[in-house]
Amino acid sequence: MQYSQVDAEARAVARKFDWVVILSTFLVLIAGFHVHQMLVAGDWSFWVDWKDRNWWPIVAPIMEITFPAAVQAVLWTKFRMPIGATLCCLGLLFGEWMNRYINFNGWTHYPLNFVFPETFIPQAVVLDIVLMLTGNWIVTALVGGELWGWLFYPSNWPMIAPFHLPVEYQGSLMSLADVINYMYVRTSTPEYLRIVETGTMRSFAGGVTGVAAFFSAFVSVCMYVPWWLMGAHFFGSTKFFKTYEAAPVEARQH
Amino acid sequence: MAQTQTTATAVARPAITAFSWKSAGIAIGALIVFDVLINVYERLYAFSKGLDYTSADYETYWMGMLFAELVLEAVTAAALWGWLWMTRDRALERLSPAEELKRYWALGLFVLTYTYAAYAGASYFTEQDGTWHQTVIRDTDFTPSHVIEFYQSYPIYIIFGVGSLVYAMTRLPQFAKAFSLPYAILVGSPLMIFPNVGLNEFGHTRWFMEELFVAPLHWGFVTFGWGTLAILGTWLQICPRVMALINHVYYGKPIQSPVEVMKDPSSSCDPAACAAGAM
Repeated sequence: MQYSQVDAEARAVARKFDWVVILSTFLVLIAGFHVHQMLVAGDWSFWVDWKDRNWWPIVAPIMEITFPAAVQAVLWTKFRMPIGATLCCLGLLFGEWMNRYINFNGWTHYPLNFVFPETFIPQAVVLDIVLMLTGNWIVTALVGGELWGWLFYPSNWPMIAPFHLPVEYQGSLMSLADVINYMYVRTSTPEYLRIVETGTMRSFAGGVTGVAAFFSAFVSVCMYVPWWLMGAHFFGSTKFFKTYEAAPVEARQH
Repeated sequence: MAQTQTTATAVARPAITAFSWKSAGIAIGALIVFDVLINVYERLYAFSKGLDYTSADYETYWMGMLFAELVLEAVTAAALWGWLWMTRDRALERLSPAEELKRYWALGLFVLTYTYAAYAGASYFTEQDGTWHQTVIRDTDFTPSHVIEFYQSYPIYIIFGVGSLVYAMTRLPQFAKAFSLPYAILVGSPLMIFPNVGLNEFGHTRWFMEELFVAPLHWGFVTFGWGTLAILGTWLQICPRVMALINHVYYGKPIQSPVEVMKDPSSSCDPAACAAGAM
């Protein structure tokens, strides 16, 4: 009887520590992943008109396979938990929606269907499943990385398709997203004109998306490898540096 | 190298109430209430008083707030870090397992509070700054959103992050005589986001007026944000020791003494123990 009570207390304490680890890890990953994402691919995430066929399918996936790879490296190798990518992308989506809803929509009054974020949840689930099934990070980089790049555009397509409908506006052919863009002139509008839907290949219409996804998948594979290694050997390191006082005498003499 | 292990047959157990969420609940709850009030202040005075840097209203509502918060943050940081240092444990070699376990709980809540503050600063208020800049052309580096984001939300998470590190180094054998690489990155790297504001503001003042968020000028923030991943290594160091303490305090299993942990902290954090020790 006494043992049962001790056992229950021990389990309760251990579970409490579990929650501290889970909650703190989730919160700080939102912080790091979101600040990373918004400053390397944020403009494509903020606005529906930036979600184009050329740059968005490249920039967003290759910059966002980073944290998932690093977190997978620790959660899989140390805990056999195939949830690293999904955990990261869920956190990112939470961070993005908090701001889009409260600030972009609630404070500066942009319509939500203009500022909704992209999703990486489907690709993240696939990346985690590939790691779980193969148990091998090199295969995950090669297969999962390719799928990560390939799946990004189609998995987001249901959300952005209505905004790619062609409309004629003041004698010009443009997309619905373009029309919304011209209704809401922003400080990023000059950059939009310089970057989005430019390039020599866009005249091939839909063909450009496949090329972009192909390139994106290739770079995603290349990005996965260093980020897995950084996660496993640097961010997941348990290295201690001893102080001078604690170092052995022979070490102090050198 | 084989480690000497000590065994205790009769170990005092801490009261279960020692592992209360209360202090973190109060700290995080207070931060949430504060953040909500700050958002209300922004909605009331950012667009109405914060569009002209040269106006008297700007001086009152925004520059006044900036100076007040900088003073308060400096005083709070000095008081908290100073108090943690002055009340440090000078006899860690005699630390009891029950007390050590309670201190790890306190450290966990400290880290949890830090991570909430980091979320608020690096995620919420940083993208809120994007909301502002996409809407308004700046005429100063001290925009209303910067007064909140750079000079308020960042120092708040720095205060908690450094505070948690000082707590660990002054009260726990594992961190007392050695410097933890992941913990230093977890605290130090996001901390460097604040000094990087200097580069950002200089760049925006000198050559880059527009707010393309993905501009290379902003990539310093990105690099330092990567340091948050080091929470993985930090917990990999802490979890095995916590599991060992639980197993010792509640089941009487052998454990390394504080002296042994201080001598070789790496020996106390075999990562395999984290997974294998699941109860």
